[in-house]
Amino acid sequence: MSPVSGRLLRLVPLAILVIASTIVRATSGASPSRLVPERAFAAPGRAHWLGCGEGGIDLATFLAHAELGSLALAGVVSVLALVVGAPLGAGAALARGLPERVIGRACDLLQAFPSFLLAVTVLSTVRAPTRVHLGVVFMLTAWVPFARLALAETRVLRGAAFIEAAKALGLGPPAILFRHVLPHVARVSAVQLGASGAALVVGEAALAFVGFGTGDGVSVGALLDMGVLSMLRAPHVLAIASVSVFVTSVSLMTAGRALSRD
Amino acid sequence: MRRVAAALRGLATLVIPRAVEAVVVVWLVATVVFLAMRLLPGDPAVLVLGEQADAAALARLRVRLHLDEPLYMQYARFLRGLATLDLGESLRRPGVTAARRVGDAFVPTAALGGIAVALAAVGGVGLALLSEGPWLGARRRWVDRVVTAVAGVPLLSFAPLLTYALAAKLRIVALPGDPDAGLSGLFFASGLLAVPLGAQLARLGRAALADVGRAQFLTVARAKGRGPAAVWILHALPVAGGPILTVIATQLGALLGGAVVLERLFERAGLGSLVLEAYASRDLPVLEAAVIASAALFVLTQTAASILHAAFDPRVRA
Repeated sequence: MSPVSGRLLRLVPLAILVIASTIVRATSGASPSRLVPERAFAAPGRAHWLGCGEGGIDLATFLAHAELGSLALAGVVSVLALVVGAPLGAGAALARGLPERVIGRACDLLQAFPSFLLAVTVLSTVRAPTRVHLGVVFMLTAWVPFARLALAETRVLRGAAFIEAAKALGLGPPAILFRHVLPHVARVSAVQLGASGAALVVGEAALAFVGFGTGDGVSVGALLDMGVLSMLRAPHVLAIASVSVFVTSVSLMTAGRALSRD
Repeated sequence: MRRVAAALRGLATLVIPRAVEAVVVVWLVATVVFLAMRLLPGDPAVLVLGEQADAAALARLRVRLHLDEPLYMQYARFLRGLATLDLGESLRRPGVTAARRVGDAFVPTAALGGIAVALAAVGGVGLALLSEGPWLGARRRWVDRVVTAVAGVPLLSFAPLLTYALAAKLRIVALPGDPDAGLSGLFFASGLLAVPLGAQLARLGRAALADVGRAQFLTVARAKGRGPAAVWILHALPVAGGPILTVIATQLGALLGGAVVLERLFERAGLGSLVLEAYASRDLPVLEAAVIASAALFVLTQTAASILHAAFDPRVRA
Protein backbone atom coordinates (compact mmCIF):
# COMPACT_ATOMS: atom_id res chain seq x y z
CA MET A 1 0.00 0.00 0.00
CA SER A 2 1.36 3.42 -0.85
CA PRO A 3 2.12 5.64 2.14
CA VAL A 4 -0.44 8.24 1.06
CA SER A 5 -3.40 5.85 0.87
CA GLY A 6 -2.22 4.30 4.15
CA ARG A 7 -2.43 7.71 5.72
CA LEU A 8 -5.84 8.41 4.19
CA LEU A 9 -7.12 5.16 5.71
CA ARG A 10 -6.68 6.77 9.12
CA LEU A 11 -9.43 9.22 8.24
CA VAL A 12 -11.94 6.39 7.72
CA PRO A 13 -13.18 5.96 11.34
CA LEU A 14 -13.86 9.68 11.71
CA ALA A 15 -15.54 9.82 8.30
CA ILE A 16 -17.81 6.89 9.18
CA LEU A 17 -18.73 8.59 12.45
CA VAL A 18 -19.60 11.88 10.76
CA ILE A 19 -21.52 10.29 7.87
CA ALA A 20 -23.49 7.92 10.13
CA SER A 21 -24.42 10.76 12.52
CA THR A 22 -25.46 12.98 9.61
CA ILE A 23 -27.65 10.25 8.09
CA VAL A 24 -29.34 9.43 11.40
CA ARG A 25 -29.87 13.12 12.10
CA ALA A 26 -31.33 13.75 8.64
CA THR A 27 -33.60 10.69 8.55
CA SER A 28 -34.98 10.85 12.09
CA GLY A 29 -36.48 14.28 11.63
CA ALA A 30 -37.62 14.46 15.25
CA SER A 31 -36.02 16.65 17.92
CA PRO A 32 -33.28 14.80 19.82
CA SER A 33 -35.01 15.32 23.15
CA ARG A 34 -38.57 14.45 22.09
CA LEU A 35 -40.22 12.67 25.00
CA VAL A 36 -42.36 9.54 24.58
CA PRO A 37 -42.86 8.42 28.20
CA GLU A 38 -44.36 5.01 27.41
CA ARG A 39 -41.14 3.76 25.82
CA ALA A 40 -38.81 5.07 28.58
CA PHE A 41 -35.61 3.02 28.92
CA ALA A 42 -36.73 0.58 26.19
CA ALA A 43 -33.96 -1.87 25.29
CA PRO A 44 -32.41 -1.70 21.80
CA GLY A 45 -34.76 -3.18 19.21
CA ARG A 46 -35.91 -2.91 15.61
CA ALA A 47 -37.75 0.41 15.92
CA HIS A 48 -35.07 2.05 18.09
CA TRP A 49 -31.84 0.29 17.32
CA LEU A 50 -29.91 1.89 20.19
CA GLY A 51 -32.91 1.75 22.51
CA CYS A 52 -34.45 4.61 24.43
CA GLY A 53 -33.40 6.66 27.44
CA GLU A 54 -35.09 8.62 30.19
CA GLY A 55 -38.52 9.87 29.17
CA GLY A 56 -38.34 7.71 26.04
CA ILE A 57 -35.87 9.81 24.02
CA ASP A 58 -34.52 7.89 21.03
CA LEU A 59 -30.84 7.28 21.83
CA ALA A 60 -29.70 7.03 18.21
CA THR A 61 -31.15 10.46 17.35
CA PHE A 62 -29.85 12.01 20.57
CA LEU A 63 -26.38 10.57 20.03
CA ALA A 64 -26.26 11.72 16.39
CA HIS A 65 -27.07 15.30 17.39
CA ALA A 66 -24.64 15.20 20.32
CA GLU A 67 -21.81 13.72 18.21
CA LEU A 68 -22.18 16.29 15.44
CA GLY A 69 -22.34 19.12 17.98
CA SER A 70 -19.25 18.04 19.85
CA LEU A 71 -17.27 17.22 16.67
CA ALA A 72 -18.13 20.64 15.26
CA LEU A 73 -17.03 22.32 18.50
CA ALA A 74 -13.81 20.29 18.64
CA GLY A 75 -13.08 20.97 14.96
CA VAL A 76 -13.65 24.71 15.12
CA VAL A 77 -11.75 25.17 18.40
CA SER A 78 -8.74 23.08 17.41
CA VAL A 79 -8.38 24.79 14.01
CA LEU A 80 -8.72 28.22 15.68
CA ALA A 81 -6.17 27.11 18.28
CA LEU A 82 -3.76 26.19 15.48
CA VAL A 83 -4.34 29.54 13.75
CA VAL A 84 -3.75 31.47 17.00
CA GLY A 85 -1.14 29.28 18.67
CA ALA A 86 1.28 28.58 15.83
CA PRO A 87 1.97 32.25 14.88
CA LEU A 88 2.17 33.17 18.57
CA GLY A 89 4.77 30.52 19.36
CA ALA A 90 6.73 31.06 16.14
CA GLY A 91 6.64 34.84 16.55
CA ALA A 92 7.86 34.60 20.15
CA ALA A 93 10.76 32.36 19.13
CA LEU A 94 11.71 34.73 16.29
CA ALA A 95 11.61 37.75 18.62
CA ARG A 96 13.77 35.93 21.23
CA GLY A 97 14.39 37.57 24.61
CA LEU A 98 11.46 38.59 26.79
CA PRO A 99 8.58 37.57 24.46
CA GLU A 100 10.08 34.11 24.10
CA ARG A 101 10.42 33.70 27.86
CA VAL A 102 6.93 35.05 28.60
CA ILE A 103 5.15 32.86 26.04
CA GLY A 104 7.19 29.82 27.07
CA ARG A 105 6.37 30.27 30.75
CA ALA A 106 2.69 30.99 30.00
CA CYS A 107 2.55 27.73 28.03
CA ASP A 108 4.13 25.78 30.91
CA LEU A 109 1.64 27.17 33.35
CA LEU A 110 -1.54 26.92 31.25
CA GLN A 111 -0.75 23.43 30.01
CA ALA A 112 -0.63 22.03 33.52
CA PHE A 113 -3.33 24.29 34.98
CA PRO A 114 -6.62 22.57 35.84
CA SER A 115 -8.77 23.59 32.85
CA PHE A 116 -11.83 22.68 34.87
CA LEU A 117 -11.22 25.67 37.15
CA LEU A 118 -10.92 28.03 34.19
CA ALA A 119 -14.16 26.64 32.80
CA VAL A 120 -15.98 27.16 36.09
CA THR A 121 -14.71 30.72 36.41
CA VAL A 122 -15.91 31.72 32.96
CA LEU A 123 -19.14 29.68 32.87
CA SER A 124 -20.28 30.89 36.30
CA THR A 125 -20.83 34.35 34.79
CA VAL A 126 -23.50 33.17 32.34
CA ARG A 127 -26.88 31.71 33.18
CA ALA A 128 -27.21 29.09 30.44
CA PRO A 129 -23.97 28.35 28.57
CA THR A 130 -24.15 27.90 24.80
CA ARG A 131 -21.66 26.11 22.54
CA VAL A 132 -20.04 29.48 21.86
CA HIS A 133 -19.35 29.94 25.59
CA LEU A 134 -17.85 26.46 25.76
CA GLY A 135 -15.72 27.26 22.71
CA VAL A 136 -14.38 30.40 24.41
CA VAL A 137 -13.57 28.41 27.55
CA PHE A 138 -11.71 25.75 25.57
CA MET A 139 -9.83 28.35 23.52
CA LEU A 140 -8.27 29.68 26.76
CA THR A 141 -6.02 26.62 26.88
CA ALA A 142 -6.37 24.95 23.47
CA TRP A 143 -3.80 27.21 21.77
CA VAL A 144 -1.05 26.15 24.19
CA PRO A 145 0.15 22.87 22.65
CA PHE A 146 0.28 24.50 19.19
CA ALA A 147 2.26 27.46 20.50
CA ARG A 148 4.64 25.12 22.30
CA LEU A 149 5.32 23.05 19.20
CA ALA A 150 5.77 26.18 17.08
CA LEU A 151 8.13 27.64 19.68
CA ALA A 152 10.31 24.54 19.72
CA GLU A 153 10.30 24.17 15.94
CA THR A 154 11.13 27.85 15.32
CA ARG A 155 14.05 27.71 17.77
CA VAL A 156 15.59 25.19 15.37
CA LEU A 157 14.55 27.03 12.21
CA ARG A 158 15.60 30.56 13.19
CA GLY A 159 19.28 29.79 12.66
CA ALA A 160 18.69 28.17 9.25
CA ALA A 161 20.37 29.60 6.15
CA PHE A 162 17.13 30.47 4.35
CA ILE A 163 15.98 32.62 7.27
CA GLU A 164 19.34 34.40 7.28
CA ALA A 165 18.97 34.90 3.52
CA ALA A 166 15.48 36.36 3.94
CA LYS A 167 16.83 38.76 6.56
CA ALA A 168 19.73 39.72 4.30
CA LEU A 169 17.26 40.46 1.50
CA GLY A 170 15.66 43.03 3.79
CA LEU A 171 12.45 41.23 4.75
CA GLY A 172 10.84 42.45 7.97
CA PRO A 173 9.91 40.13 10.85
CA PRO A 174 6.21 39.75 9.83
CA ALA A 175 7.17 38.73 6.29
CA ILE A 176 9.74 36.24 7.59
CA LEU A 177 7.21 34.85 10.05
CA PHE A 178 4.35 34.41 7.60
CA ARG A 179 6.21 33.56 4.40
CA HIS A 180 9.15 31.53 5.62
CA VAL A 181 8.65 30.19 9.13
CA LEU A 182 4.93 29.40 9.38
CA PRO A 183 4.72 27.16 6.29
CA HIS A 184 7.27 24.88 7.98
CA VAL A 185 5.82 25.15 11.45
CA ALA A 186 2.19 24.64 10.39
CA ARG A 187 2.95 21.16 9.09
CA VAL A 188 4.45 20.08 12.41
CA SER A 189 1.76 21.76 14.51
CA ALA A 190 -1.06 20.28 12.43
CA VAL A 191 -0.19 16.82 13.74
CA GLN A 192 -1.40 18.04 17.11
CA LEU A 193 -4.91 18.70 15.67
CA GLY A 194 -6.11 15.14 16.25
CA ALA A 195 -4.90 14.91 19.86
CA SER A 196 -6.35 18.35 20.62
CA GLY A 197 -9.67 17.44 19.01
CA ALA A 198 -9.87 14.24 21.04
CA ALA A 199 -9.10 16.11 24.26
CA LEU A 200 -11.80 18.67 23.41
CA VAL A 201 -14.45 16.02 22.75
CA VAL A 202 -13.67 14.36 26.09
CA GLY A 203 -13.51 17.75 27.82
CA GLU A 204 -16.92 18.77 26.47
CA ALA A 205 -18.44 15.46 27.57
CA ALA A 206 -16.83 15.76 31.01
CA LEU A 207 -18.18 19.28 31.52
CA ALA A 208 -21.68 18.18 30.48
CA PHE A 209 -21.39 15.11 32.73
CA VAL A 210 -20.71 17.19 35.84
CA GLY A 211 -23.42 19.73 34.95
CA PHE A 212 -21.62 22.46 32.99
CA GLY A 213 -23.11 21.50 29.66
CA THR A 214 -24.96 23.64 27.15
CA GLY A 215 -28.46 24.80 27.97
CA ASP A 216 -30.14 22.40 25.51
CA GLY A 217 -28.51 19.40 27.27
CA VAL A 218 -27.68 17.63 24.00
CA SER A 219 -24.27 16.12 24.77
CA VAL A 220 -22.69 12.71 25.19
CA GLY A 221 -21.84 13.82 28.73
CA ALA A 222 -25.52 14.33 29.52
CA LEU A 223 -26.21 10.85 28.13
CA LEU A 224 -23.46 9.47 30.36
CA ASP A 225 -25.05 11.16 33.37
CA MET A 226 -28.41 9.61 32.46
CA GLY A 227 -26.69 6.23 32.08
CA VAL A 228 -25.07 6.46 35.53
CA LEU A 229 -28.38 7.38 37.20
CA SER A 230 -30.21 4.49 35.52
CA MET A 231 -27.39 1.95 35.39
CA LEU A 232 -29.29 -0.78 37.19
CA ARG A 233 -32.55 -0.31 35.27
CA ALA A 234 -31.14 0.29 31.78
CA PRO A 235 -27.40 -0.50 31.49
CA HIS A 236 -27.54 -0.03 27.69
CA VAL A 237 -27.65 3.77 28.12
CA LEU A 238 -24.38 3.79 30.09
CA ALA A 239 -22.72 1.35 27.67
CA ILE A 240 -23.69 3.40 24.60
CA ALA A 241 -22.51 6.67 26.16
CA SER A 242 -19.17 5.23 27.36
CA VAL A 243 -18.42 3.52 24.08
CA SER A 244 -19.27 6.61 22.06
CA VAL A 245 -16.90 8.82 24.11
CA PHE A 246 -14.15 6.26 23.54
CA VAL A 247 -14.85 5.76 19.82
CA THR A 248 -15.02 9.51 19.11
CA SER A 249 -11.79 10.21 20.97
CA VAL A 250 -9.91 7.35 19.29
CA SER A 251 -11.15 8.17 15.79
CA LEU A 252 -10.07 11.81 16.18
CA MET A 253 -6.63 10.73 17.39
CA THR A 254 -6.32 8.31 14.47
CA ALA A 255 -7.46 10.98 12.01
CA GLY A 256 -4.84 13.35 13.41
CA ARG A 257 -2.14 10.86 12.55
CA ALA A 258 -3.20 11.08 8.88
CA LEU A 259 -1.39 14.42 8.87
CA SER A 260 1.89 13.05 10.20
CA ARG A 261 4.71 12.10 7.88
CA ASP A 262 5.36 8.54 9.05
CA MET B 1 29.64 26.54 60.67
CA ARG B 2 30.61 27.74 57.22
CA ARG B 3 29.22 24.57 55.73
CA VAL B 4 25.86 25.12 57.42
CA ALA B 5 25.73 28.67 56.07
CA ALA B 6 26.53 27.44 52.57
CA ALA B 7 23.82 24.77 52.79
CA LEU B 8 21.30 27.35 53.97
CA ARG B 9 22.28 29.67 51.13
CA GLY B 10 21.85 26.77 48.69
CA LEU B 11 18.41 26.02 50.11
CA ALA B 12 17.42 29.69 49.85
CA THR B 13 18.42 29.98 46.19
CA LEU B 14 16.42 26.80 45.60
CA VAL B 15 13.27 27.82 47.43
CA ILE B 16 12.92 31.61 47.27
CA PRO B 17 12.61 32.22 43.49
CA ARG B 18 10.14 29.36 43.16
CA ALA B 19 8.11 30.51 46.17
CA VAL B 20 7.95 34.06 44.80
CA GLU B 21 6.78 32.75 41.45
CA ALA B 22 4.13 30.60 43.15
CA VAL B 23 2.78 33.59 45.09
CA VAL B 24 2.67 35.69 41.90
CA VAL B 25 0.78 32.94 40.05
CA VAL B 26 -1.79 32.52 42.83
CA TRP B 27 -2.27 36.30 42.93
CA LEU B 28 -2.75 36.37 39.12
CA VAL B 29 -5.28 33.55 39.24
CA ALA B 30 -7.16 35.19 42.10
CA THR B 31 -7.24 38.48 40.20
CA VAL B 32 -8.56 36.77 37.07
CA VAL B 33 -11.30 35.12 39.16
CA PHE B 34 -12.12 38.47 40.78
CA LEU B 35 -12.32 40.29 37.46
CA ALA B 36 -14.24 37.50 35.70
CA MET B 37 -17.00 37.62 38.29
CA ARG B 38 -17.27 41.42 38.10
CA LEU B 39 -16.32 42.53 34.61
CA LEU B 40 -17.76 39.83 32.35
CA PRO B 41 -21.28 40.65 31.14
CA GLY B 42 -23.96 39.45 33.50
CA ASP B 43 -24.90 41.03 36.84
CA PRO B 44 -23.82 38.71 39.69
CA ALA B 45 -26.82 39.77 41.78
CA VAL B 46 -29.21 38.79 38.98
CA LEU B 47 -27.32 35.50 38.53
CA VAL B 48 -27.82 34.68 42.20
CA LEU B 49 -31.44 35.81 42.64
CA GLY B 50 -32.81 35.26 39.14
CA GLU B 51 -34.29 37.68 36.65
CA GLN B 52 -37.65 37.98 38.42
CA ALA B 53 -36.13 39.21 41.69
CA ASP B 54 -37.40 42.59 42.89
CA ALA B 55 -35.14 45.63 42.86
CA ALA B 56 -34.93 45.95 46.66
CA ALA B 57 -33.67 42.39 47.12
CA LEU B 58 -31.13 42.86 44.31
CA ALA B 59 -29.91 46.07 45.95
CA ARG B 60 -29.59 44.34 49.34
CA LEU B 61 -27.53 41.53 47.80
CA ARG B 62 -25.31 44.03 45.98
CA VAL B 63 -24.58 45.74 49.30
CA ARG B 64 -23.91 42.38 50.95
CA LEU B 65 -21.46 41.36 48.23
CA HIS B 66 -20.02 44.93 48.20
CA LEU B 67 -20.89 45.19 44.50
CA ASP B 68 -22.09 48.77 45.06
CA GLU B 69 -18.55 49.97 45.85
CA PRO B 70 -16.11 51.16 43.18
CA LEU B 71 -14.04 48.38 41.64
CA TYR B 72 -10.74 49.38 43.30
CA MET B 73 -12.38 49.30 46.74
CA GLN B 74 -13.79 45.85 45.99
CA TYR B 75 -10.35 44.72 44.87
CA ALA B 76 -8.69 46.05 48.06
CA ARG B 77 -11.30 44.24 50.16
CA PHE B 78 -10.78 41.10 48.08
CA LEU B 79 -6.98 41.18 48.53
CA ARG B 80 -7.36 41.71 52.28
CA GLY B 81 -9.77 38.76 52.39
CA LEU B 82 -7.31 36.68 50.41
CA ALA B 83 -4.48 37.47 52.84
CA THR B 84 -6.62 36.70 55.89
CA LEU B 85 -8.29 33.67 54.24
CA ASP B 86 -11.70 35.28 54.65
CA LEU B 87 -13.62 35.66 51.40
CA GLY B 88 -16.98 36.23 53.03
CA GLU B 89 -19.92 34.17 54.11
CA SER B 90 -21.64 31.45 52.11
CA LEU B 91 -24.84 32.80 50.52
CA ARG B 92 -26.63 29.46 50.76
CA ARG B 93 -25.54 28.51 54.26
CA PRO B 94 -25.66 31.74 56.25
CA GLY B 95 -23.32 31.71 59.23
CA VAL B 96 -20.72 29.48 57.58
CA THR B 97 -17.71 31.20 56.01
CA ALA B 98 -16.69 30.27 52.48
CA ALA B 99 -13.20 29.40 53.75
CA ARG B 100 -14.67 26.95 56.25
CA ARG B 101 -16.68 25.15 53.58
CA VAL B 102 -13.62 24.91 51.34
CA GLY B 103 -11.53 23.60 54.23
CA ASP B 104 -14.11 20.89 54.96
CA ALA B 105 -14.25 19.84 51.32
CA PHE B 106 -10.49 19.80 50.96
CA VAL B 107 -9.81 16.70 53.07
CA PRO B 108 -11.73 14.07 51.03
CA THR B 109 -10.32 15.39 47.74
CA ALA B 110 -6.78 15.41 49.10
CA ALA B 111 -7.23 11.81 50.28
CA LEU B 112 -8.59 10.77 46.87
CA GLY B 113 -5.83 12.55 44.95
CA GLY B 114 -3.02 11.56 47.32
CA ILE B 115 -3.83 7.86 47.22
CA ALA B 116 -4.28 8.04 43.44
CA VAL B 117 -0.82 9.60 43.01
CA ALA B 118 0.75 6.97 45.28
CA LEU B 119 -0.95 4.08 43.44
CA ALA B 120 -0.06 5.55 40.05
CA ALA B 121 3.56 6.12 41.05
CA VAL B 122 4.03 2.55 42.28
CA GLY B 123 2.14 1.00 39.35
CA GLY B 124 3.58 3.27 36.68
CA VAL B 125 7.19 2.94 37.82
CA GLY B 126 6.76 -0.82 38.20
CA LEU B 127 5.41 -1.12 34.65
CA ALA B 128 8.18 1.13 33.32
CA LEU B 129 10.79 -1.12 34.96
CA LEU B 130 9.09 -4.24 33.57
CA SER B 131 8.97 -2.88 30.03
CA GLU B 132 12.59 -1.65 30.04
CA GLY B 133 14.34 -4.17 32.33
CA PRO B 134 15.47 -7.66 31.28
CA TRP B 135 12.96 -9.69 33.33
CA LEU B 136 10.23 -10.34 30.75
CA GLY B 137 12.47 -10.92 27.72
CA ALA B 138 10.65 -10.44 24.42
CA ARG B 139 7.28 -10.29 26.15
CA ARG B 140 8.09 -6.86 27.60
CA ARG B 141 6.90 -5.26 24.37
CA TRP B 142 3.40 -6.36 25.33
CA VAL B 143 3.59 -4.35 28.54
CA ASP B 144 4.32 -1.31 26.43
CA ARG B 145 1.45 -2.00 24.03
CA VAL B 146 -1.07 -2.50 26.80
CA VAL B 147 0.10 0.67 28.56
CA THR B 148 -0.18 2.70 25.34
CA ALA B 149 -3.69 1.34 24.74
CA VAL B 150 -4.80 2.12 28.31
CA ALA B 151 -3.33 5.65 28.10
CA GLY B 152 -5.65 6.27 25.12
CA VAL B 153 -8.86 5.46 27.01
CA PRO B 154 -10.43 8.51 28.68
CA LEU B 155 -11.33 8.19 32.37
CA LEU B 156 -14.80 9.40 31.45
CA SER B 157 -15.50 6.32 29.34
CA PHE B 158 -14.07 3.58 31.55
CA ALA B 159 -14.82 4.80 35.11
CA PRO B 160 -18.64 4.57 34.88
CA LEU B 161 -18.50 1.24 33.03
CA LEU B 162 -16.07 -0.31 35.55
CA THR B 163 -18.22 0.99 38.39
CA TYR B 164 -21.27 -0.64 36.85
CA ALA B 165 -19.45 -3.93 36.26
CA LEU B 166 -17.49 -4.22 39.54
CA ALA B 167 -19.67 -2.39 42.06
CA ALA B 168 -23.24 -2.67 40.79
CA LYS B 169 -23.28 -5.96 38.89
CA LEU B 170 -20.59 -8.23 40.36
CA ARG B 171 -20.48 -6.48 43.75
CA ILE B 172 -16.74 -7.12 44.12
CA VAL B 173 -16.12 -3.63 45.47
CA ALA B 174 -18.31 -1.27 47.46
CA LEU B 175 -19.79 1.78 45.74
CA PRO B 176 -17.52 4.67 46.79
CA GLY B 177 -20.52 6.93 47.33
CA ASP B 178 -21.97 4.52 49.88
CA PRO B 179 -21.42 5.95 53.39
CA ASP B 180 -20.62 2.43 54.67
CA ALA B 181 -18.05 1.80 51.94
CA GLY B 182 -15.26 3.46 53.95
CA LEU B 183 -11.71 2.69 52.94
CA SER B 184 -12.43 0.13 50.22
CA GLY B 185 -14.64 2.67 48.45
CA LEU B 186 -11.93 5.31 48.71
CA PHE B 187 -9.33 2.92 47.33
CA PHE B 188 -11.59 1.90 44.43
CA ALA B 189 -12.18 5.54 43.48
CA SER B 190 -8.46 6.35 43.85
CA GLY B 191 -7.59 3.29 41.78
CA LEU B 192 -9.81 4.52 38.92
CA LEU B 193 -8.20 7.96 39.12
CA ALA B 194 -4.73 6.38 39.19
CA VAL B 195 -5.18 4.48 35.90
CA PRO B 196 -4.62 7.35 33.40
CA LEU B 197 -1.84 8.89 35.51
CA GLY B 198 -0.17 5.49 35.96
CA ALA B 199 -0.29 4.82 32.21
CA GLN B 200 1.31 8.21 31.48
CA LEU B 201 3.96 7.57 34.13
CA ALA B 202 4.70 4.12 32.72
CA ARG B 203 5.18 5.52 29.21
CA LEU B 204 7.37 8.47 30.20
CA GLY B 205 9.15 6.48 32.89
CA ARG B 206 10.05 3.90 30.27
CA ALA B 207 11.42 6.60 27.96
CA ALA B 208 13.42 8.09 30.85
CA LEU B 209 14.78 4.65 31.83
CA ALA B 210 15.69 3.91 28.21
CA ASP B 211 17.64 7.17 28.19
CA VAL B 212 19.47 6.33 31.40
CA GLY B 213 19.95 2.72 30.31
CA ARG B 214 22.61 3.71 27.79
CA ALA B 215 24.65 5.67 30.37
CA GLN B 216 28.17 4.54 31.18
CA PHE B 217 27.71 4.38 34.92
CA LEU B 218 25.26 1.50 34.43
CA THR B 219 27.90 -0.41 32.45
CA VAL B 220 30.28 0.21 35.36
CA ALA B 221 27.68 -1.08 37.82
CA ARG B 222 27.16 -4.19 35.70
CA ALA B 223 30.92 -4.70 35.40
CA LYS B 224 31.17 -4.61 39.18
CA GLY B 225 28.91 -7.65 39.14
CA ARG B 226 25.62 -6.14 40.29
CA GLY B 227 22.49 -8.00 39.28
CA PRO B 228 19.80 -6.48 37.00
CA ALA B 229 17.52 -5.62 39.94
CA ALA B 230 20.21 -3.56 41.66
CA VAL B 231 21.32 -1.94 38.40
CA TRP B 232 17.82 -0.83 37.41
CA ILE B 233 16.29 -0.05 40.76
CA LEU B 234 19.26 1.33 42.73
CA HIS B 235 21.24 2.96 39.93
CA ALA B 236 18.94 3.82 37.02
CA LEU B 237 15.66 4.65 38.79
CA PRO B 238 16.90 7.56 40.97
CA VAL B 239 18.30 9.29 37.87
CA ALA B 240 15.00 8.83 36.03
CA GLY B 241 13.15 10.13 39.11
CA GLY B 242 13.28 13.77 37.99
CA PRO B 243 11.30 13.29 34.76
CA ILE B 244 8.85 11.04 36.62
CA LEU B 245 8.27 13.75 39.24
CA THR B 246 7.79 16.31 36.46
CA VAL B 247 5.14 14.11 34.81
CA ILE B 248 3.24 13.85 38.09
CA ALA B 249 3.40 17.65 38.48
CA THR B 250 2.14 18.35 34.94
CA GLN B 251 -0.68 15.81 35.34
CA LEU B 252 -2.01 17.40 38.54
CA GLY B 253 -4.46 19.58 36.62
CA ALA B 254 -5.86 16.56 34.81
CA LEU B 255 -5.96 14.73 38.14
CA LEU B 256 -8.14 17.48 39.63
CA GLY B 257 -10.45 17.29 36.60
CA GLY B 258 -10.66 13.53 37.07
CA ALA B 259 -11.42 13.96 40.77
CA VAL B 260 -14.34 16.25 39.88
CA VAL B 261 -15.75 13.63 37.48
CA LEU B 262 -15.37 10.86 40.08
CA GLU B 263 -16.87 12.94 42.89
CA ARG B 264 -19.85 13.56 40.67
CA LEU B 265 -20.03 9.90 39.62
CA PHE B 266 -19.96 8.62 43.21
CA GLU B 267 -21.62 11.65 44.79
CA ARG B 268 -18.68 11.94 47.16
CA ALA B 269 -18.07 15.11 49.12
CA GLY B 270 -15.01 17.09 48.07
CA LEU B 271 -13.68 20.21 46.38
CA GLY B 272 -15.20 19.17 43.05
CA SER B 273 -18.69 18.61 44.45
CA LEU B 274 -18.40 21.87 46.38
CA VAL B 275 -17.55 23.78 43.18
CA LEU B 276 -20.44 22.09 41.35
CA GLU B 277 -22.87 22.82 44.16
CA ALA B 278 -21.70 26.43 44.47
CA TYR B 279 -22.03 26.82 40.69
CA ALA B 280 -25.51 25.33 40.57
CA SER B 281 -26.77 27.49 43.46
CA ARG B 282 -24.67 30.53 42.43
CA ASP B 283 -23.02 30.75 45.85
CA LEU B 284 -20.44 33.25 44.57
CA PRO B 285 -18.25 33.65 47.70
CA VAL B 286 -17.90 29.87 48.02
CA LEU B 287 -17.27 29.48 44.30
CA GLU B 288 -14.56 32.16 44.41
CA ALA B 289 -12.92 30.64 47.48
CA ALA B 290 -13.06 27.09 46.10
CA VAL B 291 -11.59 28.01 42.71
CA ILE B 292 -8.78 30.08 44.25
CA ALA B 293 -8.03 27.40 46.86
CA SER B 294 -7.85 24.66 44.20
CA ALA B 295 -5.56 26.82 42.09
CA ALA B 296 -3.37 27.57 45.12
CA LEU B 297 -3.22 23.88 45.99
CA PHE B 298 -2.23 23.08 42.44
CA VAL B 299 0.50 25.76 42.33
CA LEU B 300 1.80 24.70 45.74
CA THR B 301 2.22 21.04 44.76
CA GLN B 302 3.83 22.02 41.47
CA THR B 303 6.28 24.28 43.28
CA ALA B 304 7.04 21.54 45.81
CA ALA B 305 7.71 19.10 42.95
CA SER B 306 9.99 21.60 41.25
CA ILE B 307 11.97 22.23 44.49
CA LEU B 308 12.26 18.48 45.15
CA HIS B 309 13.42 17.88 41.60
CA ALA B 310 16.11 20.55 41.91
CA ALA B 311 17.15 19.25 45.35
CA PHE B 312 17.61 15.72 44.04
CA ASP B 313 19.09 16.49 40.66
CA PRO B 314 21.97 19.01 40.61
CA ARG B 315 21.69 19.25 36.79
CA VAL B 316 18.36 21.10 37.08
CA ARG B 317 19.77 23.80 39.35
CA ALA B 318 22.17 25.23 36.77
